[in-house]
Amino acid sequence: MAQAKILVVDDDPDDLKMISMILEPEGYQVVTAENGRDALEKVESEDPDLIILDVMMPELDGFAACAKLKSSPERKGIPVILLTAVAKRIQDTKYPLDGVLRAEAEEYLEKPTKPEDLLEAVARMLP
Amino acid sequence: MGRALKTNCWELKGCGRGPESAEPCPAATDTTSHGTNRGINAGRICWTVPGTLGDGFVQGAFHEKQPLCLSCGFIEQVRREEGEGFRFLKLARGVNDPRSLRATLEQVEALEAIHQQLSSRFDLDRVLAEITEEAKRTTHAQCSLVLLRQPPPSGKGPPQLRGRFTVGGRKADVAIPVDDTSAVGCAALNNTSVNVKDPYSPRRRKPGEPPFSKRFDRACGCRTRSLLAVPIRDAQDQVVGVITAVNSDKGYFSQDDQWFLEHFVVEASLALEKDALLKASASTMTLASIGETVAALSHCIKNIAHTLRGSSYIIKRALQRNRMEDVRSAWELLDRHVELLADLASDVLTQPFGPPGHPDAFVVADLNETVRNAVRLFEGEARARAVELVLRLGRGLRRRRFSKRGVYRAVVNLIINALETVPHSGGQVVVATRKNRAGEAVITVSDNGSGMDERTRQALSAGVLDPGRVKGTGLGLATVRSIVEKHHGRITIQSKPGKGSRFRLYLPTDPEERAGPLP
Repeated sequence: MAQAKILVVDDDPDDLKMISMILEPEGYQVVTAENGRDALEKVESEDPDLIILDVMMPELDGFAACAKLKSSPERKGIPVILLTAVAKRIQDTKYPLDGVLRAEAEEYLEKPTKPEDLLEAVARMLP
Repeated sequence: MGRALKTNCWELKGCGRGPESAEPCPAATDTTSHGTNRGINAGRICWTVPGTLGDGFVQGAFHEKQPLCLSCGFIEQVRREEGEGFRFLKLARGVNDPRSLRATLEQVEALEAIHQQLSSRFDLDRVLAEITEEAKRTTHAQCSLVLLRQPPPSGKGPPQLRGRFTVGGRKADVAIPVDDTSAVGCAALNNTSVNVKDPYSPRRRKPGEPPFSKRFDRACGCRTRSLLAVPIRDAQDQVVGVITAVNSDKGYFSQDDQWFLEHFVVEASLALEKDALLKASASTMTLASIGETVAALSHCIKNIAHTLRGSSYIIKRALQRNRMEDVRSAWELLDRHVELLADLASDVLTQPFGPPGHPDAFVVADLNETVRNAVRLFEGEARARAVELVLRLGRGLRRRRFSKRGVYRAVVNLIINALETVPHSGGQVVVATRKNRAGEAVITVSDNGSGMDERTRQALSAGVLDPGRVKGTGLGLATVRSIVEKHHGRITIQSKPGKGSRFRLYLPTDPEERAGPLP
């Protein structure tokens, strides 16, 4: 059976490395992108089965990237997990929590995420 | 069959600090590492031992001397010679087998748990109780206590350290004078950690060794075999308390125990600082502004905790599956983020400048480089907000006497304030340096943000901390002011509503000369 391919998007190289190291030993193939714009290009070239998306990123943030993806009839079926450390109490922010709802992501995990929760969410969303 | 021992670092480097020398290096005497990588004691895993020589100077712990060690060449030599048997990271915190590594991970997780506690809700007594509980567990102590400094009850005599502990199911109060009659009193008096080993041993006390008072033992009917006392400092580097760990089984606390207790002290300091902030809300700070501070702090902590938790998980799983390469990679991530955590705590506490050698001390350095480093920190953030962040560096500032960390923090705070006020699209923040005719270094941070009205500008210029009037907490500017004052400099603020603000820091030629020698 072919490995499921997961696109991990984060502007922090340490986080990219860490999430790859959590997923790869479990048999997933991981491709990475450093911002939302890069992610949208990788979606076209890599055709991932699932996307793990950080929120606060340069170029195009995670909410905007997710919203763009979900507005595409061909790509909206790819499940998205949003990962963010955005605090729930910050009202006056560029990244309000209700952005998750508007972005229409399938799952939202707050940092610090338990790796077990991430793996469980990934397994649940992949066919 | 054992393998033959190989060349040790002191033999290769010729430092003269081998095991037989008059002043042996800690690596030459660390018997717990004997045989590792086929070396005598820690002779072939010296990079993990604090106190070794590097670049002609005695170095600190691994995380401090890491760049030197990695460029030394000896690690590579040992790695080549040992092949698959090479052990690199196991002693990064004094860990020399997988079981110890797991124990260390538990300790790191305990630190992370305390951080989560601090970032989510707040109850000082509860936080302090959890800190002592975790400190007790991670250092394998039988008792850990936070003692807070209080004025003497009668108004006369030395201040006291007061705390409450439970013995035999009942609670008892303890009061220890801040003087040199006890180890705990000494820790507070001298603002330094004290590690007492086997105090009942009949051997003679070495010169400078702290005294041990048996009063506490008599009060609770125990017999202390080892005691660690670490001072808790406030933002002005004043001792506000002491955290202790006591053991009546084990005759010593290790360097690792001390390292962890010192990190728990940072947590206790943060908790006390946070408590002070909350109490200050009655005067000028609004609860909303504190909420923002906490939220911003929480955001940073969550990011760090995310990586700590992930790398800890990877290490545990890799140990189960014997994937040592993953252990090494994840450990590097973990190590880096533990340091970030410590830096964050230190930044929050805004410690004042310390003596020579202290990270906050005045040094002769390139002021432009410090400002450039502060700006670099926000390049990604500015890009993410579509804000133009401009850096203009002037001449004549390559050799200035200033506190690198202080100036770095001041510029960081001003940039944070500026980024908060500029529009998300079309915003501009300019950071510039120059030397004026009076020889002062001038650092300017200007923005095209919302600006402030004249009353607010005057209040800020006068040093009134009234964050209700400005966006953000106002704490940032108070920090900047404190740093500039330490340099005997001044701040000017220009601002117009809707047009933006300009903050100028003037740092005189040699603040230390004007201020007199630092203590």
